[in-house]
Amino acid sequence: MDRRENQSSEGETARILVEFLEVAINSIVFLKGVYPSGAFERRRYMNMVVQRARHPQLRDYIHSTVSTLLPFIQKGLVERVAVIFFNTDCIPVERFVFKLIVNQSYGSKLEEADLEFSLRAFLIKLSVSESLTKALPRDCRWEIIAYFRSLPQASMSKDSELWTPTDTRQWQQPPILIPIKSMSSEPLCLQLYLEHPSSSEPKP
Amino acid sequence: MSLDSSRSANSSGGQKSKRSFNNSTSSNPSNYSNGNNNKKAKPSQKTLGAASWGANSLSPSRSSFRNAPFSDFGSYMMEKNRKLHDQFDAEASTSSHSGSDSGKPIFHGISIFVDGFTIPSSQDLRGYMLKHGGRFENYFSRRRVTHIICSNLPDSKLKNLRSFSGGLPVVKPLWILDSVVANKLLSWVPYQLDQLANNQPRLSAFFAPKSSSVSKDVKPEGSSFKGGTSTEAYFSDLGESSEHSRQISRETDNLVNRNSNASLVTEPTSSCGRPFEVTMEKPNNIDADDERSVRNELQTSPYQPSALATSNFVENHDMTGSPSSTVSGLSNHRHSTIEDPNFVENYFKNSRLHFIGTWRNRYHKRFSSLSNGFNSRSSNIKASAQKTAIVHVDMDCFFVSVVIRDRPELKDKPVAVCHSDNPKGTAEISSANYPARDYGIRAGMFVRDAKARCPHLIIFPYNFVAYEEVADQFYNILHKHCNKVQAVSCDEAFLDFTGSVEDPQILASRIRKEVIETTRCTASAGIAGNMLMARLATRTAKPDGQFFIPPERVDDHLSQLPIKALPGIGHVLEEKLKKQNVWTCGQLSMISKESLQKDFGMKTGEMLWDYSRGVDDRSVGVIQVSKSICAEVNWGVRFKDVKDSQNFLSNLCKEVSLRLQGCGVQGRTFTLKIKKRRKDAEEPIKYMGCGDCENLSHSTTVPVATDDVEVLQRISKQLFGYFHLDVKEIRGIGLQVSRLESEGSLKQGLERNSLKSWLTSAAASTEEACNNSCTALVRSDTDCEGQGNEILGKICASSVGPSIEMDNNISNGEAFLNQVSEPPPLCHLDKEVLESLPPEIFSELNDIYSGKLIDLITKSKGKSENISSSSSNSHVQVEGAMKTGHMVLHSDPFLQHEIPVENRHIAMEDQAVLVSGAESNNVVLPASGIQKIDLMPLSLSQVDATVLQQLPVEVKADILQLLPAHRRQDLSSNALSGPSKETPLELLGTKTAEDHSVSKGCVSENNLWAGTPLQWVVKFKVSNCLILNVLAEMYYELGSTGTLSAILQRAISLPKHQLDANRDSWDEATYNLCDLLKQYIKRKIEFDIEEIYICFCLLRRFAMKSEVFLQVYTNVFPYLQASVGENYGGNLHMSLKN
Repeated sequence: MDRRENQSSEGETARILVEFLEVAINSIVFLKGVYPSGAFERRRYMNMVVQRARHPQLRDYIHSTVSTLLPFIQKGLVERVAVIFFNTDCIPVERFVFKLIVNQSYGSKLEEADLEFSLRAFLIKLSVSESLTKALPRDCRWEIIAYFRSLPQASMSKDSELWTPTDTRQWQQPPILIPIKSMSSEPLCLQLYLEHPSSSEPKP
Repeated sequence: MSLDSSRSANSSGGQKSKRSFNNSTSSNPSNYSNGNNNKKAKPSQKTLGAASWGANSLSPSRSSFRNAPFSDFGSYMMEKNRKLHDQFDAEASTSSHSGSDSGKPIFHGISIFVDGFTIPSSQDLRGYMLKHGGRFENYFSRRRVTHIICSNLPDSKLKNLRSFSGGLPVVKPLWILDSVVANKLLSWVPYQLDQLANNQPRLSAFFAPKSSSVSKDVKPEGSSFKGGTSTEAYFSDLGESSEHSRQISRETDNLVNRNSNASLVTEPTSSCGRPFEVTMEKPNNIDADDERSVRNELQTSPYQPSALATSNFVENHDMTGSPSSTVSGLSNHRHSTIEDPNFVENYFKNSRLHFIGTWRNRYHKRFSSLSNGFNSRSSNIKASAQKTAIVHVDMDCFFVSVVIRDRPELKDKPVAVCHSDNPKGTAEISSANYPARDYGIRAGMFVRDAKARCPHLIIFPYNFVAYEEVADQFYNILHKHCNKVQAVSCDEAFLDFTGSVEDPQILASRIRKEVIETTRCTASAGIAGNMLMARLATRTAKPDGQFFIPPERVDDHLSQLPIKALPGIGHVLEEKLKKQNVWTCGQLSMISKESLQKDFGMKTGEMLWDYSRGVDDRSVGVIQVSKSICAEVNWGVRFKDVKDSQNFLSNLCKEVSLRLQGCGVQGRTFTLKIKKRRKDAEEPIKYMGCGDCENLSHSTTVPVATDDVEVLQRISKQLFGYFHLDVKEIRGIGLQVSRLESEGSLKQGLERNSLKSWLTSAAASTEEACNNSCTALVRSDTDCEGQGNEILGKICASSVGPSIEMDNNISNGEAFLNQVSEPPPLCHLDKEVLESLPPEIFSELNDIYSGKLIDLITKSKGKSENISSSSSNSHVQVEGAMKTGHMVLHSDPFLQHEIPVENRHIAMEDQAVLVSGAESNNVVLPASGIQKIDLMPLSLSQVDATVLQQLPVEVKADILQLLPAHRRQDLSSNALSGPSKETPLELLGTKTAEDHSVSKGCVSENNLWAGTPLQWVVKFKVSNCLILNVLAEMYYELGSTGTLSAILQRAISLPKHQLDANRDSWDEATYNLCDLLKQYIKRKIEFDIEEIYICFCLLRRFAMKSEVFLQVYTNVFPYLQASVGENYGGNLHMSLKN
């Protein structure tokens, strides 16, 4: 009985987190201005005004990517989720990194309200952190990358097949980190920070 | 329901006519009231009908008495009764001849019901009632009838008397006749039906030994006696008439006798509340007054419509009217003893055994100093081995001779002492003088048997006051002549004259002579080599003589002595020995010790063997300490219901509690003994005795010894519950308390958990102690002082309470508990300590202080200074222990090993307090001062800086001042240099050098960010560095929850000079800050990089203003980046851009 409740609470955390990630990624994409602002619509999430992509493909991409992360998050496999913007040379210009630690053994019941309260702070901070970001070059692309603690079993589920192992181009120098928001509470610890290439990074 | 309707129906017809009838014939108020009675009778009759017939749902038409078809028997009877009443009233009004002269007819208010055959016949009785204003009921009704008249009752009715009589008195017809002859209402009590009087239902007039006792045929003699009985009768009258009056007053206010004197009214009304008291007090008045007038008083007064009084009367009436309760006694004090709320008390007041039992206690108190005196001397005496000389002194028939000591004319007449001198009674003779003994009268004999043997036997009641007086005189003499006295009883003692120069025989005769002169009672003495022989010698010596058994005559004396004479041989043992054909001590001495021990057990066998040879190695000593205390009542115990028994039990507990307190002991094991009537046992021969009983007992042991009445009551009730008995079967109850502990030991012990008892006992002893040590200085304000002392004691005790509960430092605790009675200087009680006391104790203290108390305390402090230095020492101990307890409770576990130090330290603090207090009073005692200084910590290492830190500023200053100068330097320098030398963090201030070396290098393990409050806060607060202090302050300002960023954020508004540090504290500040930040990074980097980031952004801003922070920033920054790199694979963006 308890176990099931725990599991459900855990699942709940993951579900909320995935939902949040979807909204947050939407917001980031909007923030970066990759697409014209007309491609987004104002929506309400957690009692906040957020932007969501209107274009079905874009929306689906974000949605499917994040939601297929759900089983992995539940298993605690996902360490970081990054939204990477890179230029035409595939060299990352800016990375939004969600570092997440989900406490698998969290016993007591999840306080959804508390969690939402904290997550809202992310969205607010995010919406005002444009100044922290770099201006993107033209023709840039972006992608969502998840850093797993270990490679998932191929047979885990159908959805997981959407995720493919990859290697991205890394900066040669350690990046500069600009923390945007952190929350550390049980059972979820989430941090959002920007990564910029260090100034000593050889320019392409 | 039908009551009203019928009345309205009646009012149209019968009632109206009757009223006119009355008016026309007579204006006699008695008739008037008769009429009222009649009217009253109707409604009450209805109520009866409703109750007993149940079918009394009469319609108005039916209840109309004329030509209504009777629907049922009930209504028929009702109408019949009505008719009879009317007839009776009619006759009464014509035949009445009482009246104008007396105002009230004899039988006013009396309503009789004649049961069965009587002489004179019921018709004659009816005639008497008619003539003299009484009423006559043809049909029995509990409500209307006041007396049942009959000459004889069938067995069935006797057995079920209550249901038959409804609790009303059952009286012989002679009562009516005699009353008519006397022309006044006599008490019906002596006329109670014989059968009932013989039924032995209740306790007798045991408690009024002087009045002639319980018997049906005893006639009233003394005037006081008469008064008593008649009042009783009046009460029943009163009950009735007041009942009437209530009815009357309801019906017609006009009829209420408004003329009744108000002053007359008040007295009986007030007495109604406590009917029994009236029966005791009233007779005195009656003696003086004209009886008739009294009666009138009583009869008129109830007309005042007082519901309360009436109800009481009714109740009273029920009680006295119930034959079973009143038959038994005729005296004024005669309430049925079981119903007597003071039964237990009275019982013991009148018990000889109780007197003897408690006498010991009294003796002990009175002569304890004397016996202590001889103990010390006796050791010397014993050292020189001399021939022992024991004298046994026994007063001759003590209980009789004391009573008749002032009446020499009775000296040669047979006299006995007994509760009651009722010649037919079954009271037991407790003591008889020698002339009486010649008639074969022995103690324990029933009075009636004694009277049979000696009809002119004079019986006296006990005179306990005289006994006490004589016993005291007796012992005064004994103690005057001998150092070594062992009291056996109030009239019997052993004296040890071993080593005395004088011949013990001469001494004995001198003692005897003096006893006779002083007490006018004779005493006998036996002189021999040991206690046994001395006692046996007394036996020969009696009466009024003395006898000496020299060692060589012992065997002769014993050879023919019947075994019964030996102490320790009772009925059972005697019978057993007689079965073995052993009759004398001589025969007994023929039996071998082994066979005696085989037959009678080791101890008894040995005793028999020894005694039969006159061997007794007991030495004359002091009274042994009693091992148990018990109160038992097995006479007169008859319970009606459970309530009775519970009431009895709680009274018994009171008695036991009193005895415990009297002996100054408390007990842990409680045994409730019950005597239960055997199934087939008849009523005992002895009146109200216990008869043949089974003895049952239950016991329980509680962890904490007590003498508290309430606890006893609770326990005994519980024990009583285990028996599951029919209370009617109980013939005796006893409560025994064993495992006694003296109160003194309890005070020291930790057993007492009741704060209340602590308070009271401590307060009492405080008062005593203080009064002893009181000086003229304090005497001027004795009032205040007494109060103050008490309060002080209370506080003192309550401060001890919690420390006991905390159960720490027990050895320490015991030490100070002994000194509880000494008042600590309360006005200087540490506020923090008070605050951390348990709430209830704190509130108590609060109450006690209540503002102005400070004055009292200051006053009594003058006295506390006068108390010897050791006592001032005790203050400190108490206080210290109290605070220790507090510290232990509220501090981190690691502090516990430092308790002694702390304790010491606090003691020191109190020293300071004491000294200052003394100064303010100008009563500095050099001696105590010195001792106080000695209590200072010998070395600085004993001072716990954390404790120091918590102390109020003034106290801290005091302590620092009291510390020798070099020590203080140590302290401060230690405190300063501590951090830079990597002092162990949990000690935070000072620590010995050894500790230093031991814990060096373990810095990193000390977590600054742990604990409440956080370690760094504690540390920074004690720091000498301003910036650190400021940061710690910030922490508190933020409600002790803030993150570092919040603190820094707040600090950013600080003026520049506060953010910097001078050279002295530079190192300390940078070190501490770096350490703090590093630990913070370590703590936060993984989960909250944002926080770190903000902190360092802020730090960077500080660094622009403050060199210290610049250094800190530069020191820590590499560490930060390394940490971030480690965790995030990058560097924090720390450009000066924003």
